[in-house]
Amino acid sequence: MLRLAWANLLHHKIRTALSVLAVAIAITLLLILVGLAHGTLNDVSRRMESVEAQILVRDAYFDLGSLSGGKLWEKEIPRLLEVKLDQQPAVERVMPVFLGRMKLAGQSQNVFGIAPQDFPYFIGSRRLVDGGLFTDADSARELLDRFEQAGTMGDTTSPAYMPLIVDQRLAAAGDLHVGSAARYGDLDARVVGIVQTGVAGRVFAPINTLRAANGVAVQTAHLFFVKAAGRLSTDQLLALCERIEQATARSATLVADYGRIMKGNFRTLILFVDLVSLIALVICFLFILVTIYTSVLERCREIAILQSLGATRRRILLQTVQEALLLCVAGTLLGIGLTFAVRYGIETARPLMTVEIRASWLLGATAVGIGGGILSSLYPGYVALRHDPVEALSFE
Amino acid sequence: MTDIRIQTENLCKTFRNGRLATPVLFDVNLEIRAGEFVAIMGPSGCGKSTLMHILGLMLSASGGRIRLDGRDMSQASPAERARWRRERIGFVFQRFNLLATLSAHDNIALAEQIRRNPPDGQVDRVLAAVGMTDRARYKPGQLSIGQQQRIAIARAVVHRPAILLADEPTGNLDSAHARLILDLFGRIHRQDHPTIVLITHSPEAAGYAERIVELKDGRIHHG
Ligand SMILES: Nc1ncnc2c1ncn2[C@@H]1O[C@H](COP(=O)(O)OP(=O)(O)OP(=O)(O)O)[C@@H](O)[C@H]1O
Ligand SMILES: [Mg+2]
Repeated sequence: MLRLAWANLLHHKIRTALSVLAVAIAITLLLILVGLAHGTLNDVSRRMESVEAQILVRDAYFDLGSLSGGKLWEKEIPRLLEVKLDQQPAVERVMPVFLGRMKLAGQSQNVFGIAPQDFPYFIGSRRLVDGGLFTDADSARELLDRFEQAGTMGDTTSPAYMPLIVDQRLAAAGDLHVGSAARYGDLDARVVGIVQTGVAGRVFAPINTLRAANGVAVQTAHLFFVKAAGRLSTDQLLALCERIEQATARSATLVADYGRIMKGNFRTLILFVDLVSLIALVICFLFILVTIYTSVLERCREIAILQSLGATRRRILLQTVQEALLLCVAGTLLGIGLTFAVRYGIETARPLMTVEIRASWLLGATAVGIGGGILSSLYPGYVALRHDPVEALSFE
Repeated sequence: MTDIRIQTENLCKTFRNGRLATPVLFDVNLEIRAGEFVAIMGPSGCGKSTLMHILGLMLSASGGRIRLDGRDMSQASPAERARWRRERIGFVFQRFNLLATLSAHDNIALAEQIRRNPPDGQVDRVLAAVGMTDRARYKPGQLSIGQQQRIAIARAVVHRPAILLADEPTGNLDSAHARLILDLFGRIHRQDHPTIVLITHSPEAAGYAERIVELKDGRIHHG
C-alpha cells in the first residue's frame, strides 16, 4: 500500500520535489523566525539572570525594551540598603548600572557601565579569559573637569582611553583582542579584558568613565541590581520587592522575571512572528492540498481500479492521506535540515544573533507537518471517494 | 439453491444525470450456475457493460434484485460489497486498467495486499500461468497490449475468485492474441471452475462459452 503511494510520488518527480520543497521552506521559515525571536529574547534574559543579584530596581518610566527613560541616583543606594524584611536588614549589596551604546563588531552594542568592585558579581562563576579588570575614577565630574583642562580624560591615574571588557562571542565576532582599539563617540576606547560568554553585558566599561563619555557629570544610573542578604525564597523576594517599592518609590522586579517582562514588551513582535509563520504554513498546506487534489483528479481511474479490486473506502482515503503524509514528512525532515543550515549561515554572517532550536520546537514542527499533511489530504480523499468508479473505468 | 451462483430478478437500471434519465436495463432475469461459463452478446450500447458492473457490485441497480450465492446483495452496505469484490470476484476490463506506476508483478501484488493475503508465491504462480514470468518487472507502458491483458487476467484470478467477469477482453487484440487470451480463459475454467461471465462481440469468443445470453435494448432474448 505504501508502495503505491511511493510509486505515484516517484512517477511525478518534479511535482513531488516542489511539494517537498514547499513544506521544507515553510517549516524552515517557521523554525527560524520562532528560533530567532525567542532565541534572542531568551539569550538576553538568560544573561541578565546570570548576575548574582535577585532584584532589579528601575525608575517607573524606564523601559526595559528600549533601555531608555527615567533614571536612578546613586545617592538612593543607602536608603535601599536600609530596607528590612522581618526586622532584619535584607539588602546586602546594590550595584548600579549606567547604560551606554557603541558600535562594535559592526553592530550597535549596549555597554554596561559598572563599578569595578561589582564586576565579580556580574561575571559570577565565569572568568576573564584574557586581560584584566579596569579601574575607574571616583566620579564622572572629576573626569569631565580633567577633560575640560587637558582636552583628554587621561592622566597618570587613569588611562587615556575608555577601557572595555567584552565577552568571547563579541570578541570572536569582531576579531577583538586585548589591546584592540574602538571608538565611543569621539573618545578612544580599548579592549582590556575578554570574559567568558553568558555574562549580562556583552560590553562592560567603568561606570564613571561611561557617564563622563556621555557628558553626564552626576552620579545617575539606569538600573540597580540588588543582592538580597542571605537565601530568600521567591515569596520573600517578592515581599522584598514590595518593601523596596514602598521605601524608594521605584519599581522593583525579580531578575528571574526579566524574560517574562521582555516577552511582554515584545508581545506584538512575537505575535507578528507567529502570525507570519502561521500564514507560511497555511500557504504551504494549500499547496499540498492542490498537489494531492490534482493527482487525485488525474487518478480517478486508479481509484476505480482499487475499488474494483475490493478496496474499502477507508483504504482509498488512507491511500491519499498516505501520499500527502509522505510529502509532508519528507518536507518536514528537509525543513529541519535546512533550519540547521540556515542557522549556521545566520550565526556565521551575524555572529551575535541567536537562533534557538529546541527539541520541543522540532517535535512541534514535525507534528505540524504531519497534521497539515493529514488535513490537506482529507478533502482530495473525499473527492476521490465521490467519483463514479464505473465511469472512470470505462472512459478515457 | 446454492448451485445458482448469480441470480437477477427483474433487474432494472436507469442512469440519472440531473433531469436526464437514461433507462438502460429492463427486467433482466438471469440465472448462472456455479462453475458455468457464460457469454453475453449484444449490439453496442445495449447495456452489457452496465449489467456486468451490476453483477460485479460496482454499480447499484435501480430496481429488482441481485443474488450472489443465494445472498441478496441489493441492500448490502458498501463495505459488504467491497468485501465480496475483494474475496469472490475478479474483473477483466477491455482497457486492462493496470496501474501505470507499478510493475506487472506489483500490480498483482497490490490486489493481494488489498485482500490482506500473505505474499506466499501466488503472484509468481499466476505470472507463470499467463506466461509472463520474464516480464514481471516491466511497467504496463513497456508491455504490448496482449501482454498487458495477460497481466490483467493474472490479477483477476490470483485469488481464485468464484466469479470472473470479463468485459470484451479481446476487443483490442488481433485474432492470434485474442485466441491466446481465450485459451487462457478456457484453461482457467477447466482448472479452477470459476463462474465466468464473458462479454463479447465476437462469435469466436462466445464459442468458448457453454451458454450464450443475448442482450438487446436492455432486455434478455432467450433463444
Ligand atoms: N454513467 C452513465 N450515465 C448515463 N448513461 C450511461 C452511463 N453509463 C452508460 N450509459 C448508457 O447506457 C447505455 C449502455 O451502456 P453500456 O456501456 O452498458 O453498453 P455496452 O452494451 O457495454 O456497449 P459496448 O458494446 O459499446 O461496450 C448506453 O446508451 C450508455 O450511453
Ligand atoms: Mg461495454
